[in-house]
Amino acid sequence: MGFLAPWFLAGAVAIGLPFWIHLLRQYRSTPHPFSSLMFFERRTQSSIKHRRLRYLLLLSLRVALLLLIALAFANPFVSRSGATAGGPKMLVIAVDNSFSMRYDDHLARAKQQAMNAVSQLHPGERGQVLAIGSRVHFLTQPLEPADADQLKAAIQSIQPSDEQSSYGEFARALRTIAQSSRIPLEVHFATDLQKSSLPPAFADLRLGSDTNLVFHSVADPKQPNWMVESVTAPAKIYDPKKVRVQAVIAGMGTEAAKRTVSLVLDGKVLETKPVDVPANGPASVEFLSLDSPHGFHKGEIRIEPNDALREDDRFDFAIERTDPHPVLFLHPAGQDRDELFYRSALESVSEAGFNLEPLAVEQAANQSLSKYAFVVLSDVGMMPAGLENSLRAYVAGGGSLLIALGIHSAELTRVPVSNEAIQGSSYASLSGSRFETVAAADAEHPALRRANKLDGVKFYQVIRVDPGPSRVVARLTNQVPLLLEKQVGEGRVLVFTSTFDNISNDLPQHNSFVPFVEETARYLGAQQDISTNVAAGSYIELRSAKDRGAAIDVTDPDGTHPLSLKDATAAQTFQVTREGFYEIHRANGRQEFVAVHADRRESDLTPVPQETLDLWRNTGRGPDTPSSQDGSAAQNQARPWSLWRYALLLVLITAIIESVLASRYLSVEKEVAS
Amino acid sequence: MQPRTPTRFIDPALLAGISHLDLVAKTVVDGFVAGLHRSPDFGFSQEFAEYRAYTPGDDLRHVDWNVYARTGRAYLKRYRGETNSQLVLMLDTSASMGYSSHGITKLDYSRYLAVSLAYLGNLQRDAAGVIIFDDDVRNYVQPSTRQGQFMRVAHAIEQAQTGTHTDFAKPFIHFQQFLRRRGIVVVISDFYEQPEVVIKTVEPLRYRGNDLILFHVLDPQEIRPKLKEPSLLVDMETDDAIEVSPEYAKEEYGSKIDAHISALKTKANAANIDYCLLSTDRPLDDALREYFLIRKGRL
Repeated sequence: MGFLAPWFLAGAVAIGLPFWIHLLRQYRSTPHPFSSLMFFERRTQSSIKHRRLRYLLLLSLRVALLLLIALAFANPFVSRSGATAGGPKMLVIAVDNSFSMRYDDHLARAKQQAMNAVSQLHPGERGQVLAIGSRVHFLTQPLEPADADQLKAAIQSIQPSDEQSSYGEFARALRTIAQSSRIPLEVHFATDLQKSSLPPAFADLRLGSDTNLVFHSVADPKQPNWMVESVTAPAKIYDPKKVRVQAVIAGMGTEAAKRTVSLVLDGKVLETKPVDVPANGPASVEFLSLDSPHGFHKGEIRIEPNDALREDDRFDFAIERTDPHPVLFLHPAGQDRDELFYRSALESVSEAGFNLEPLAVEQAANQSLSKYAFVVLSDVGMMPAGLENSLRAYVAGGGSLLIALGIHSAELTRVPVSNEAIQGSSYASLSGSRFETVAAADAEHPALRRANKLDGVKFYQVIRVDPGPSRVVARLTNQVPLLLEKQVGEGRVLVFTSTFDNISNDLPQHNSFVPFVEETARYLGAQQDISTNVAAGSYIELRSAKDRGAAIDVTDPDGTHPLSLKDATAAQTFQVTREGFYEIHRANGRQEFVAVHADRRESDLTPVPQETLDLWRNTGRGPDTPSSQDGSAAQNQARPWSLWRYALLLVLITAIIESVLASRYLSVEKEVAS
Repeated sequence: MQPRTPTRFIDPALLAGISHLDLVAKTVVDGFVAGLHRSPDFGFSQEFAEYRAYTPGDDLRHVDWNVYARTGRAYLKRYRGETNSQLVLMLDTSASMGYSSHGITKLDYSRYLAVSLAYLGNLQRDAAGVIIFDDDVRNYVQPSTRQGQFMRVAHAIEQAQTGTHTDFAKPFIHFQQFLRRRGIVVVISDFYEQPEVVIKTVEPLRYRGNDLILFHVLDPQEIRPKLKEPSLLVDMETDDAIEVSPEYAKEEYGSKIDAHISALKTKANAANIDYCLLSTDRPLDDALREYFLIRKGRL
C-alpha cells in the first residue's frame, strides 16, 4: 500500500473543523420551564461529554468524510501481481513488419510468436492485432469477445514492408487504445528490437498505467549485415562521359570482407568493381561513366554476395538522360550586355543543364513558351501585343519567369505578369549616397542561399516597385525592394529591380553573381524540387499552390495509380512507402522518376539495450518493479492498483449518510424550538 | 381503617376531565365520614366534658345543682358541643403553581383539594371561606354559612389563575385583618420560600387559637427530577435560566429538596402546625384521608 500523492494527506488536519463545531461552538440547549430554581446553583456544567455522546455518530461521519477526501486525493494504491489482478483485460498482439524484419526469417518467427501469444487469450477477453511500421496498422477491430481464429488470420496476413519501424508511434497507439478501452492491456510485441526504432525523446515511449508490455524478440545474437548505404548520382545527365556515380558500402556487425559492387542500369550491368569493406566500416566505390540513351532510367547499385538481408544489398536510383533545358532570354533589341553576363554565369556551371536562347523582345510575339524551363525578361520595357498574355498563361500553367527592371522599365506603370506598381526609378548620385547596398535579405530563399545575401554589391540604379502582395526577398538600404517573388497560378515570378549588366550595379563583378544566377535558374527551372532518390515513408511534394489545379498522376512500382481522382487534383503531398520507382506526371506536363529505397537506418540491426527495454516497460509502473523479459514472469510482476475511485465512492456514501443524519438532527432541533 | 381498593382512589388526572369543581368535590368527598370537626368552644350538647369550679360572674344556668347538693360546692358542668366551625382556605396561585410534568398542574391539584375541603365544610354546616393569593390577595370570599356559600367559594377557586411570584408576608398580614373568629386555616402552596420565613409568617395565626394546616403541594418532577440530558431550566416566576446536568438534578437537587421538606415539616411541628406533603400524582381522596388521620383526636 502506498500513495501516489502523499502530500495531500496533510489535508487530514481539517478534521479539527468538525471537532470544533461539535465541541467548542456555543451550545444551544432547549429551555424547559421549571417551577423554581431555588435549589439549583448557577455554575458551569461541563456538558461537553454529553454533547459528544449525543452527536458521536455525526462527528465520526464528518471526520471520516474529511479523512476519505484527503485519502482520495493522496491516490492510494496497492501492489497486485499481474496474475492475481483479475478482471477483464485486452490482449494486444503487435508484429513488427518493418524493413529490417526481412532479415533472414525474422518476420516468420515474429508471426509464430504472435500466434503463440494468441493462445493466452481467455474466453470473453478482447483482442486486437497491430502491424508496426512507420505507422501503426490496425489489422483488426478490438473484438469482444475476440475470435482467436480471426486474430491468427490477421497475423498470417502480415507482409513485410519497406517502412522504418517507429516505437514512438507504437507507444502512442497503445496509449490511445488504453484510453479508449479503459481496461488493462496485455501487449505482446514480436520485434527485432532495433535500437534505431527508438524515438529521439524517451518520453514518447511512455505507456499507460494499466499496460503490461511483453517483448518477444526475434533478434539473433549476431546479425552481420552489409548494405549499400548511399548512392550519389545526378538526377539528370547531359553528358554521359562526365557522370560520376558514387556508392558507399557499409557493414554492421561485420568482419572485414570483399564485396563486388555492380552498377546496373535498366537491369543491365554496366560495370563491376571489387571493394574491400573494413570491419564495421564503410567503403566507397566510384563509377565514372554512365552510358545511357535519352530518357528516364532505373539505376541500381548492388553488392554481391548477398547476406541475410538481401533487400539492402541493392540501392535504386533514378536518372534522366536529357538535353540541357532551354531558357528564353528576352532583351531589347540592340542591348546584349545583360545577355553576355547572364550567359557567362549560367554556362560556367557545368551541371546546370540550361541552354540560354536569347531573343529580342520585338521578335517574341508568337514564340511558343512551353518548351522553356523558364523565361528571363531583361529590362524589356514595352512588350509586343499578346506576349504578356502568353507569358501570363505560361506562368499560370507552372512556368517561371525572371524579370529584371532597368531604364526601359521606368516608363511602365506596372511590372509585366506580376503586376506590381512601378513608382519610378531610384538613382544614387555622387552628391548623394553614391550607391545602395542590400540592407535585408532572406538568406534561406533559394535564390540567395549561396549568394551570401549579395553582400557588398553596389546598386546605382533600381526601379522603385510597390510590392503589394508580393513577397520581398531582399531590400536595399533605402528600403527599395530589390528582389520580389510572387506566385501566379502554378508558376512563380521573380522580380529583380535592377539589371544584370555592370551599369546599374556591380553585381556581375562579384563572386555572388554566378551562385545567384545558378540558384535562380535551378529554382525557376524546378530542378531543386526534384528528389529522385528518397527513403520509404518520405513525402513527395505534388504541388505548391493550395488551390486545386490540373491532375497529377502518380504510378507506383506495381504500375498502379494510388491517387484517386480527387487526390490527383487536390493532394499536395504523396507518401511513398515501398521500394522501387514511382513515376510522376505533373500538371505542367513534366515527367519525373523517383527511386524509393528503404531507410538505411533499418539496416542497423543493433538491438535496444535491456536496461532501456526495462525502463520502457516500467514507464507505467513503479520504479522498483522487477523487470523480466519472460512473458510468464511479466504476468506475475507487481502492478500498482489505484484505489482513489473506491475512496471517492466511500466519500459519496459517507456524505449521503452524514447529510441524512445531520438533517434529522436539525429537524428535531427545529421541532423542539417550535 | 377501611380497606383500600383500587377503585377507591381517583387519579387526579381523571378529575381534570370534570368541568365543574363542585362535581369534583362531590366525587372526592363521597364516602367520607362527614361532620367530624370538633368545635374548640364548649357549648350545649349532650356529651359531658368536665366540671369547673364556679367563679363569680359565671352563668348560674350552667351550675350542676346535683353536685352542689351532694358536695355543697358549686361546679359548672361543661359539655363538648357539636358546633359550626370557620374554615378558611388559603390558595397560593403564584406562577410556580402552574408547573406540571404529567398533565395536571399543581394549581389544578390545589383547586381540587381546596374545593373538596370546602365541600366537606359545607356538608357539616361550617362557615367556609377562601383567600386566593400570590404576592398579594387576589380574591377573598368571607366565611359564611349562608345559602349558596359553597358555590361562591367553588366559583372563586375555579376563577383562580396563576399570578406572579409568591410573597407570604403581604397576604398573611392582609388576612389577619379579616380573621375575626377562631377556626381552621388551611394553607395550600408549594412553599418555595425558606422554611423559617414560611413558619414565621403563618405562626401568628396559630397564636390566635386557629388550627393551622399546611398542605405542601409538589409535582413529582420537583421532588425527584429526571433529566435525560443537560437542560436549560427557566424559573417560571423570575424567568432566570440555569443549565442543569442530569447528575446535579439527581444528586444535589434531591438532597436539597429533601432537606427543605424536612425542615418545613420540623419547624411546622415545632410551631404546632399540621403539615402535609402532597404530590400531584397521589389520589386526592388518599390525600384527604391522610389529612384526617393527622387531625384524628385533635378536635
